[in-house]
Formats: sequence, C-alpha cells, structure tokens
Amino acid sequence: MTEQAMRPQFMGARVKRVEDPRLLTGQARYLDDIDVPGMLEVAFVRSPYPSARITGMDLNAVKSAPGVRAVLTFDDCPILLWQKDTYQVGQPVLAHNEVRYVGEPVVAVVAEDRYQAEDAAELAVVHYESMEPVLDMEQSIAELPRRVHADASNVFYHKEYTTQGFAEAFAQASHHLTATFRTTRQTAVTMEPRGTAAMPDPASGRMTVYASTQSPHRIRGDLAELLGWPENQIRVIVPEVGGGFGMKANTYPEDVVVVWAARHLGKPVKWVSDRTESLLSDVHARDDIHEVEVAYQEDGRIIAIRDHLMADGGAYPAYPFSGAVGETSLASRVLTGPYQIPFIETVIDCTYSNKTPLGAYRGVWGPIASFVQEGIVDRVARSLGQDPAEVRRINMIRPDQFPFRNAAGMIYDAGSYGESMEEALRLIGYKDFRDRQSVLRAQGRYRGIGISVFVEPTAMASSEAGSVGYESVFIRVEPTGKVTAAMGLGPTGQGHETTMAQLIADQVGVNLEDVVILHGDTDSAPFGGGTGGSRSGPIGGGAALVAGREMRQRLVKLASHLLEAAEEDIELGHGQAWVAGVPDRAITIRQLAEIAYTHVKRIPPGMPIGLELVARYQPQQSVSFSNGTHIAEVEVDPVTGLVQVLNYVVVNDCGRLINPLIVEGQIHGGVAQGIGSAFLESLQYGSDGQLLTTSLSDYLLPEATDVPRITTKHLVTPSAGEGGIKGMGEGSLIGAPAALVGAVSDALAPFHVMVDRLPVTPDDVIEWVTSRV
Amino acid sequence: MNNKVPLKLTVNGGTFDIEVEPRWLLSDVLRHQLGLVGTHVGCEQGACGACTVLIDGKPERSCLTFAIQVEGQQITTVEGLTQDENLTPLQEAFSEHHALQCGYCTPGMLLTATALLQQDPHPSELKVREAISGNVCRCTGYQFIVDAILAASGNAKEDQR
Repeated sequence: MTEQAMRPQFMGARVKRVEDPRLLTGQARYLDDIDVPGMLEVAFVRSPYPSARITGMDLNAVKSAPGVRAVLTFDDCPILLWQKDTYQVGQPVLAHNEVRYVGEPVVAVVAEDRYQAEDAAELAVVHYESMEPVLDMEQSIAELPRRVHADASNVFYHKEYTTQGFAEAFAQASHHLTATFRTTRQTAVTMEPRGTAAMPDPASGRMTVYASTQSPHRIRGDLAELLGWPENQIRVIVPEVGGGFGMKANTYPEDVVVVWAARHLGKPVKWVSDRTESLLSDVHARDDIHEVEVAYQEDGRIIAIRDHLMADGGAYPAYPFSGAVGETSLASRVLTGPYQIPFIETVIDCTYSNKTPLGAYRGVWGPIASFVQEGIVDRVARSLGQDPAEVRRINMIRPDQFPFRNAAGMIYDAGSYGESMEEALRLIGYKDFRDRQSVLRAQGRYRGIGISVFVEPTAMASSEAGSVGYESVFIRVEPTGKVTAAMGLGPTGQGHETTMAQLIADQVGVNLEDVVILHGDTDSAPFGGGTGGSRSGPIGGGAALVAGREMRQRLVKLASHLLEAAEEDIELGHGQAWVAGVPDRAITIRQLAEIAYTHVKRIPPGMPIGLELVARYQPQQSVSFSNGTHIAEVEVDPVTGLVQVLNYVVVNDCGRLINPLIVEGQIHGGVAQGIGSAFLESLQYGSDGQLLTTSLSDYLLPEATDVPRITTKHLVTPSAGEGGIKGMGEGSLIGAPAALVGAVSDALAPFHVMVDRLPVTPDDVIEWVTSRV
Repeated sequence: MNNKVPLKLTVNGGTFDIEVEPRWLLSDVLRHQLGLVGTHVGCEQGACGACTVLIDGKPERSCLTFAIQVEGQQITTVEGLTQDENLTPLQEAFSEHHALQCGYCTPGMLLTATALLQQDPHPSELKVREAISGNVCRCTGYQFIVDAILAASGNAKEDQR
C-alpha cells in the first residue's frame, strides 16, 4: 500500500477530461453565450482600402438609425495601442485620419442588437482618398513605393548575428548552394471567433470584462494601462474559449473600444467577430522570406548557413508583441534544428506593409524554420546523390553532446533526436520504401517520403502569451477536504482543468474528482502568464506540482501531530493520511481539514490556521527543448496537382507525459493544421491590396477526408524541471509542414522539384511538372 | 425593421410560440430567443458546420436557414440529444476517445454523427470521414472523432494508435 501511494496515480494516466460533459451537452458558455438584460452590441465599420486618407465622414444617418445608442470614432475614443516610443507608431483603436489596411476598424456602432448595429453601420459614409499601398516585402525594405508610416522607417526591426569564424568556415567548404524559401500568410482560424463583452458594475464602480483570450492577466494589464484605470477596477473573466492557437494572445483594438463604450454608456456592451471580420482582422502569420546560402562537404556534413530572414509585419506591430519579430528572431536562433551545424550568419528585417498586422499562430517561427532547415538538408542530400535519412544521421546532434550549444548560442537540454528519427523510419517502413517508390514510378505514380526532425523550445522565460517566466497556483483544501486551485492560465481546449488536477491530486493524496481547477478569472487567480508558447504544461504544471507538494507538507505536518508519529513516517493517499506500516493509525483528509479550519486548538504550535497557500514556480533553465520526428508519405498526381497524404508517423518526445490522451490529441491537431499549412491555407492579397480570402470557402481548412490516420509513439527524455515535463503544444505544427512538402519534393524528384514555398497548391505542382519534364 | 411575425417552432420535442423577424436566422433564434446556446455559430457562411442542427432528422446548417422556414418541422439541437442526466453512448464515446478539445465544433459534430448512425448503424471509417467532412474541427485532427463514432457504432478500430 505504501509503495502504491507514493507512486503517481494520475500523472501519466489516460484520464478522461473533466471538461467534457458540459461541452458535450451544449452547457458550456462561450463569449457570445453571455447575455444580460440591456446588453448592447457593436458592429464595426472597417476600411475598404489598404491605404487611404480619411477626408470626411457623414454619420448622421447611422446615428438616427433604429436602435442605435452610440456611434464612435477616434475623436470619441482617442486611444493608441503602443506608447509611441516602442515602435515609433501607435495604432489608433479606431482609424485616425488615415487607414493602413483593409479591415482596420474606423467607426464603432453600438445598438440594441447586432442586426440593428449592422443595419446602421451600412449607412456610414466615409470619404477616402486612396494612396498607393505598400504590399511587397522586399520593396518595403527599400522604402518603396513609400513609407507606411510617414515618420517611421518601413524596417521596424533589424538584427544581425554571426558565429565567430563563420566567413572562413563558409569559404573553405567544398560545396555551396543557395535557395529562397517563402511562406504565404496564414492565420489561426479558431472555430469560435474573437469577442469581448464588458459590464460596468454601478455598485462597486468596477468593470467586468469577458474576454475570449489566452492571457487573462495580460489583457487586464493592457486595458488598465491603455484606459488609464487602476487594474483593481477591472476584473477579466475568460469564459469557455473555442480555440486560440496564439491568435487570441493579443489585445486588439476592438477589445479596447468595447470596454471604453461600456464605461461611457454605463451599459453592458458586447462585440463578437463574424468570420469575414476574423479573416480581415485576426492577426495573420507566416509572411516570411528566407534567402539562404549553405556551405557543406562531400560527405554531407553541413558547415555553415547564411540566411537573410524577412517578415512582413503588416500595418502595425500587433499589440503587445509583433508576430514578425517573433517569427524571425527565434527562427534565427534555432535554424540549425537538431543538427550540429557549427556556423550561422543571420540578418533579420521586419517591415511594415498595408496588410493586417502579423501576430502569433501556433509554432510562430517553428513551422517556418523547420521548413527551411529540412529543405536545406534535402537539397544537400539531393545534390550529393545521398539518402536524405543518411545526411540527417551524419549531421544529427549525438546524445553525448547534451547540453548542446547551437551555432546561435541556444542551449539544448537532452533529447532523443537520432532515436526519434530511427523509430519513425522503422514505423513508416522506410527500408522498403525506395523499392516501392521505384516500382510505382515506373507505372507513372509519384510517391514520396518527407522526413522532419524538429526541436521545440518550450517553457521559455517569455513567450507570446507569457509576460512572465513563472506560473502561480493558489491552492486551498476546503473545510470538507475537497481541493480548489486557481491559476492564471488561459486554456483554449488543452484540458488544463484535467491535467492540473491530475498533478495536484497525486501530491495532495486525494481523488481526481475531488480537485477543482479554477482559471480565467483575475479576481480568483494569482497573477499568471496565460497560455501560449507551450508553457502551461512545464511551467503551469510545475507550479501545480510545487503547490500540491507544499500543501502535502502542510497536511503531513498536521497528521504527524495528530497521529503522534514522525513526519517522515506519514503517508498520504486515497483521501487519507496514515502511519507507514500501521494503516489503522489513519486520519482522513476531510478530518484534517475540519481540524485546520474549525477545531483550531488541535493545530500544532507554529502552524497557520486553515489550509491555503500560493506557490510559484520558475524553471531554473530558461528553456527546455522537446523534440521528435514526423515522416509523411504522399502521392502526388501530376495531372491534377493534388497531393494525397497516405501515411503519417510521429515519434514525439516531450519529457514526462501528464496525460498521453491529451498529448496525442495535441499531436493529431497540429498535424492536421500542418496539412492545411502545407497544401490548403493561404491568405491571398490582390495587387490592389484587397484581401481576397474572406470566407471559409476561400480560405480552406483541412477536413476529415484530408487528414490520414496518424501513428504516434512517445519517447521520454525528462527535462530537468519540475516533473520532468516539457511543453508540446506547438511541436506537431512545427514538424508537420516540413515533412509534408519534403515528401512532395521526394515524390517529384524525377521532375527535379524542390519545394520552396508554403503552401504548395495544385497549380504549383502542375506548373513544376510541365515546365521541368 | 420591426415587422415581426408569429412563429410556432418545434425544438427538442417542445413547442415554442414566438415572434421573429423574417430575416432572423434559425441559429440566432435558437440561441438568442430560446436560449439554446449549444448551437454554435462559426462562419455564418455555411462552410464550417458548427451550427448544424437536425431538421426532421437530417443535419442542416442553422446559419443558412431562416427560422420562419422550419415551422412545423422537428428541430433537434445538442440540448435535445441528452434526454436524461446521462450522456448518450455517442457522447460517452467522444469523452472516452478524447474526440473534443475546445468543444466549439462538438455540438454540430455530434448531430452530424447522430444522423449518420441512424441512417447507417455500422459505417466504415471512410464513410464516417465523408459524413463529417462538412464539419470543420480545428483542434483534434479528426482521428479521435472518427474513433469515437466508430466505437459508438460498434465498429471500433483495433490498434488505432
């Protein structure tokens, strides 16, 4: 019994989620499900121009339309995102004199319901004087055709890095190649659109803000700062959130306008995005160019990589972090992936354009860097006539090299790089594949395999959601022995109410159903960094372990006093404490709690009354690397240009698993998004700067018939942090696109195709096979 | 724009006498007039399937249907799947197989799958995938949804991981 109780009962188990019943029965409450009497709704008038001066507005018809309560412009709500000093530009929450992207909010119409608000918004007359838009990244660097912001250079972020000795090593290598990699704009497309509701409380004077966000405390801080209110006057409540994927980690102009309107009208106000607004105004992602030169040797060893990284940040840096900077700066530091490439030289340029601001989408830099890194390896292999798996073996970081310092100075903790690849090759049947491939090729069928060995930096000190490198847990054993814990995480489907409860239940020695995890309410949760950057498992989970352990120590101390035994002899589990080896000398946790709160004279001297505490956890390492290998097998139809994904294998190592079921769900979802990234999803701008893909009939998402059955296997290389946990929310989307388009390159090798873009469309395939026969 | 007309809606076995504007979408009426917010709106363009309800047993987009179009027809929403406190076998299978993450597409997915299993109690995996191909899920990659539907049908895949 002793041994059983000491072993984690819930961590590592395939536990069903406590969130599920409410979600399965239609009882969950998302942002748009919040409705209170008298609630007003907002519709935004958005810019139809990518770049224009506003020369006048006639809003009289809007103001007198049925049900309209207020019509707001920048003059009413003169708030700028960004204090001017950070990027020299401040984004007005409603356009001020000038519009800089299609979809930028210009006028807010507040009415009794959304139908009336939209009817009235249609009556707005805004006079524009169109200007030539800035749409091309490389031209923008040269300030052409003009500046997006008259007072600021188009290049808003520039950085250079060189490993010492780069120039000599690059020159001395026997082989060189160049390549340009491009990614087209994509976006997260959460199934639940963005939304915000704000409700003033006349009694307390406080404002309750309902926000569909990943970062409850951060949005509270942002609103307090932008509106100039004390933050204890704002309570942020995050209801059920229908997906985030990084896109809901920002504070958006609409959030500020809604809260401002609620305060100034003294009424509850709500705005929920429709899908067209989402595609226009949710942060975009993945608008990058990498111009790469590679130096390598005859045996396949890659010596040096030079990369000019460019990203189109859109009209403004998304608030409060720019996706363009996120995508390039981290890509430049992890560009060598799992390979021991000793030298790197990078130049980063992030530019403004007259497009939607670039923010985060799951993986941020990762899917791009993996696509470049694996594209480099595949090009080296093909140029030398070597097997792509063999070139990866030659360059792979070996287990004896950990901790490994990469060419950009990042320190990798231990992983299973080579092992993950060998296991994935075995699972996909690589040994026989080349034979199968050549037989099919003789029949005019083009199959290919793409290998993607990825690294995923997780639990970083700062990330897109996390302003902080630690996480906090408030934990309380209630007077009846039930456990309540509150956290500042912002789950959007990851199941933290289950996984955090698993960790705490083990520590406190209670059953899973006795633990309730609260999140998404700044009045109940201690300050936290929210969810993003694959931080909730390792940092949030670490905090849950620390809090649970501290509470366990409290309970042990109390039990040792009451059972008259030494603390080291007290065991805790299954809802009770007992003396090791004497299971009859026991007391239930419920009894302990009752004593701690009500029969307080029985508490030992020096111990506080009650059973509650706040614990914080900050990992000692600034980052922990998950890793793994994805291998895709595809067949490309050279006539239709369509790609069918036939087989897909993931060998994943995220350290110790909290709940394998949830980890596998994350992996499957990321691979599906990778199929979208590789073959379907593309935000297309016309040459006039109009976004052409403003519905889900134009912006294509993977459907059930597009995604194959995915084989997954876990390897476990624990981190040095609490519980040995590494993050894993992004790795699957980091690894997948590179594997998928690598497989297309392999399939179309007879046509000398090497994929250089994401996504690959049927038109691309047809052009390649017809032009290169 | 206040030309409301009377409407008798039959939802989840109950009858509701309400007044609606002719232009109001069934999804909006279910959500905001009847308080059945389990029906989710994902695109209002008929592309994502989140708003799927059953109309006379067939899965339909409630965002592409005006409420006044369905007078006299039987409408089933996710709230109508669960007649007592327990989950249906399909809902149970969804939880067992981790077929949902954020839960936003889940009601529409359940209704589509319910209609499928009524029409074909033992579908193949391909048939399941085709049946749910009009319901977009951004979180799960569909595999565990397919597994859950197959398990509820008794056609569970062996060694599915």
